[in-house]
Amino acid sequence: MAAVRTADSRQQWEIIKKNFCIDGDFSQINDSGEDLQLVVRLVQQLGAGQLVLDLALDAIWLALRQSVVPKFWQHFVTFEAQTNGKEDDAGEGSVEVMSRVATAVSELYDSAGSFVPQINRCEMLCEQSGAKFEDCIPGGLMEHFKLHLRATLHSQMPSSFMHLLHKFYSAAFKVFYQAEVGSQVEESEEVTDEPVPCGGCGGATDACHCQAITNTFCQVNKQLYGLDLLERLAGDIISSLLLSVITDHVSTTCRDSYDQSCINQLEKWVENVVVGWLELVYCGSRGQLSSADAAIQTMVSNNLNQTYMTALYHTYTTTRIDQLFNIVIEYPESQPALEDIRECLDRTHLRDRLVESLRSAIQTRLLHPGVNTTDVLHAYISAIKALRVLDPKGVLLELVSEPVRQYLRGREDTVRYIVTSLTDESCSELSEELLVAAPLVLDDSHSDDDNMDNWETWTPDPVHAHNLKSKSQRTADIISMLVNIYGSKDVFITEYRTILADRILSQFSYDTEREIRYLEHLKVRFGETLALLHKCEVMVKDVADSKRINTSINSDENPHREKQKFPVSAMILSAQFWPSFKEERLQVPEEVTKELENYTEAFQDLKGNRTLNWKPHLGQVQLEIELKNRTLNLTVTPTQATIIYHFQERNRWSIDDLSTMTQVPKTVLRRKITYWQTQGVLQEVESDVFVLVEGEETGEEGQTAAAGLPLADIAPPAIEEDEAESVMASAQDQREEELQVLWSYIVGMLTNLDCLPLERIHAMLKMFVQGSVECSPQELRAFLDRKVRQHQLLLTNGLYKLPKN
Amino acid sequence: MIVLKRSWRKYSIDNLEQVMKVKIKSWTGVATWRWVANDDSCGICRMPFDGCCSDCRLPGDDCPLVWGQCSHCFHIHCIMKWLQSQQLHQQCPMCRQEWKFKE
Ligand SMILES: [Zn+2]
Ligand SMILES: [Zn+2]
Ligand SMILES: [Zn+2]
Repeated sequence: MAAVRTADSRQQWEIIKKNFCIDGDFSQINDSGEDLQLVVRLVQQLGAGQLVLDLALDAIWLALRQSVVPKFWQHFVTFEAQTNGKEDDAGEGSVEVMSRVATAVSELYDSAGSFVPQINRCEMLCEQSGAKFEDCIPGGLMEHFKLHLRATLHSQMPSSFMHLLHKFYSAAFKVFYQAEVGSQVEESEEVTDEPVPCGGCGGATDACHCQAITNTFCQVNKQLYGLDLLERLAGDIISSLLLSVITDHVSTTCRDSYDQSCINQLEKWVENVVVGWLELVYCGSRGQLSSADAAIQTMVSNNLNQTYMTALYHTYTTTRIDQLFNIVIEYPESQPALEDIRECLDRTHLRDRLVESLRSAIQTRLLHPGVNTTDVLHAYISAIKALRVLDPKGVLLELVSEPVRQYLRGREDTVRYIVTSLTDESCSELSEELLVAAPLVLDDSHSDDDNMDNWETWTPDPVHAHNLKSKSQRTADIISMLVNIYGSKDVFITEYRTILADRILSQFSYDTEREIRYLEHLKVRFGETLALLHKCEVMVKDVADSKRINTSINSDENPHREKQKFPVSAMILSAQFWPSFKEERLQVPEEVTKELENYTEAFQDLKGNRTLNWKPHLGQVQLEIELKNRTLNLTVTPTQATIIYHFQERNRWSIDDLSTMTQVPKTVLRRKITYWQTQGVLQEVESDVFVLVEGEETGEEGQTAAAGLPLADIAPPAIEEDEAESVMASAQDQREEELQVLWSYIVGMLTNLDCLPLERIHAMLKMFVQGSVECSPQELRAFLDRKVRQHQLLLTNGLYKLPKN
Repeated sequence: MIVLKRSWRKYSIDNLEQVMKVKIKSWTGVATWRWVANDDSCGICRMPFDGCCSDCRLPGDDCPLVWGQCSHCFHIHCIMKWLQSQQLHQQCPMCRQEWKFKE
């Protein structure tokens, strides 16, 4: 003590240096022998508090920089040198890594601990002399020391360290994961006698060192935590291990199965694994969380909810988004998956991505010429149903399905397919929809488009809202959506009318019960008053009336019957109510003309003041054809019958002559005659010249060119006549005619008002042309766009105007 | 001469070979019906005769035509309505002659 007071200034300085280890020698810190209080007072007397503190701290920082940290890193640098080039063996390597890390960390922990007395001294100096260390970081000098340690460690970290540390945590995680989840997996597996390597550490079962790994691991974590290094050094690794196992688990769980809800089970799983792992890392063993620091508890629960649950929802949703096309196609089996996705969409920001991804999947997998319309429609229907589950408000559906609708609109056979399947009992998917007695919901008002702009404000319906919707409401929408592809009932019913006409005039079945039933359904769905449906009703009634008239004319009492060579019946149509017919000519054989005239007379007698105009090319003829060695019974069209009829008179006809004889144009004849070629009755011996093939073998060569050839050698004609060909003018043609009516109005408007946007034109047409032509904005746009292409109209900045000339 | 003879022979043989018979067992034709009238449409309702008057839904039997002695004809429903609206004289709306149904 006296030494402090009596010493000269040199000695005093030596004492101060020694007590604050200013020269960097920390070995004697606890036995300097001086009374620390006196030393501090001396410093105060000299007014050197700040100077001493600065020097003392500098000495500590220097020691960290030059000895503690380099020594710590040295463990890893040499380890790296040793293992360099060696096989990265998981089992042995990880043991090596474990012990290396443990040794290094424990050494670091000890040497850092050895500075604690010195830190305490400096702290005291601060308090008593008022000296300040760098900006007075909150938390005191100890925190300041740890900060310096961290910074120094980081500044000297060898490049391979993170990799090693990752290995360290991976090994521990594997042991943990095996204990946590592996046991469940193994239960289901068969027990074999073979020694199975431990799933945790990879060692043989009898040499499992899982426990050792866990012990080492916990010790290291504890020391790193004490040094405030755990989070800084290993935080990312700790969470990345969890995140990657979550990703793996989610994608395995969701692989290819859409028929079970799994989000709740996944949530439980994530909670279990995350809490277990974080407990192990931060508390040293499982089940310790409840007794841990409040800070740790908060941290774990925050991380669980903010990081890992979010990761779960994100991974789940992105995985499902990649599968969404298949999920949609597999509706309704995929309903559980869809409900999961709906729940997750609310918790992620993936709605845009979902729309984009599904749109592009639809584009590449569905909307190309290789997929037939049936399949596109089927997918469209599935999409309607599936997306309704995802979003009962229909916004997603609107966004995703618009390209499909556009595409379907461009395919010629779409309406026909929809109508056919609606009215075809064998296609239950749609025909059942028709039976649902609900009026059509049409989006004729296209203000819906505007709502797309503020779709950010979109909110989901309450989760259970879809359960409240009745089946009829949901299914009613399917047909509405299908009709909405065209945006107009009229296009739809026009097509139905054409199909109905074709069906009546190709099958010649007088049984109308089925058609009447469908008409009733259509009336319920499309509205009783629709003029086109009324026309369809008259068409069906024509069939029933024809049946009665035929029965009456062909009855035994009818005098007309006596002169009959063969029975004639007719389908008698009310022309005003049928779609327009393709005009085709045909001069039927004389005896047929006579019979038809007879029938007409009988009709006139029956109906008085009414007569018939025959459409000779339409109808159905039953023939019995006697050939040299066979008899054919065939049902053919009048044109086909007329062709073969003439081969009775001559066995060789050129197309020219036959055309003159029958009044049928040559191109049509060439098409129709192929039927007789496929029947093996006619053969083309030279271009446009046909001869009769009487028998398969004539026995005499050179009789006719045809007879000499065995039938097998006659190549079947390349073009088969398309029997399904419609006899009606196409629906598009008819519609185009109707739209032309609007054109004069539009020209008038644009002449007076110069230029107008689509909406105005549509609104004005609605006002002026009320009732006569129904036309949706989409259809109008398509029509106007055609006019633009034909240079009859200009479109600039969304305004249509007439070209100046 | 020889050529001619050959071709004649060939033709006759072909005809002798000709045994095909086409027997029509039945013929179903398609026709549209129409009224036998001088005009296409009704002078009263302007609708085609082959359609029906504005009050009817079904053409033909359900909305027949009638002829006057003036030889004008109308949908029966149209002329009946017209005649009912005429208090004093029952006139043909086309020719203003007295309306009498043709027997
Ligand atoms: Zn009339
Ligand atoms: Zn009437
Ligand atoms: Zn008259």
